[in-house]
Amino acid sequence: MLSAVLKWPALVLWRAFFWTDDRATWQYDVWVLAILAFVWLTPPDWLSDPTASGPGLIGWIQRLFVP
Amino acid sequence: MTFTGAIGAACMFPLRAIIAVCVALRIHPNVLTLVGVLTNVWAAWALAVGEFVTAGWIMVLANIFDFIDGKVARELALETPFGGFWDSVMDRFSDISLFIGLIYLYAELGRTDYVVISAMTMMFSVMTSYTRARAESVIPKCKVGFMERPERIVLFMIGAFTNRMAAVLWVIGVLSVVTVADRLYFTWRELNRPTAPSPSC
Repeated sequence: MLSAVLKWPALVLWRAFFWTDDRATWQYDVWVLAILAFVWLTPPDWLSDPTASGPGLIGWIQRLFVP
Repeated sequence: MTFTGAIGAACMFPLRAIIAVCVALRIHPNVLTLVGVLTNVWAAWALAVGEFVTAGWIMVLANIFDFIDGKVARELALETPFGGFWDSVMDRFSDISLFIGLIYLYAELGRTDYVVISAMTMMFSVMTSYTRARAESVIPKCKVGFMERPERIVLFMIGAFTNRMAAVLWVIGVLSVVTVADRLYFTWRELNRPTAPSPSC
């Protein structure tokens, strides 16, 4: 039972990284959304971005809730 | 329909009109490919001087040429093996010129870290195409891995329009490494697969 539970994340990761699916599938959409989330949500400071400024969406939410 | 499928279908409307114009004018597809590369060099210059939004629009223009050349070739019955070869070679020039633009920009800003990141990402982007081309000389097909040229181009545009080029470089870099690894593994697996026994007479 436990091995079956542990198998799922490994399987998902293997499927995501050893990519064999086509474009315009729901699996592709999931990857695209994950990438867009990383690009737009990560505060540029975390990556020491040389050109971008501002806190990014995560930083903005953080500022809203953390005094 | 999927989210990305819907975006693709929406983009096809204006592209169909542009393809129709090029077919009506009988523009040679190899000329379209060359214009695409030159436009990408222009985009690289805009990246180099830090004009990201301008670079984004120029990349849109460049990739219209890039996208329609194959379709125009088909419509005009001008598909040739040399056309495919020319397209692949010119694509590498386009890819590399965009990275050189970024490397110049980061060097000007004195950011050696991002010069190295851009150079590494450029290396793995080229290797993504090379591993597939080389693999397909020894196995029939090697279409595995996520980060191919269309994904790279769209990410470059997103990075330029929204000024998130550093995040985009990280995504392209890491996923290009994974794609090269996928292709090496896939080719190794295909070449070491036990062949089916031939039927005995």
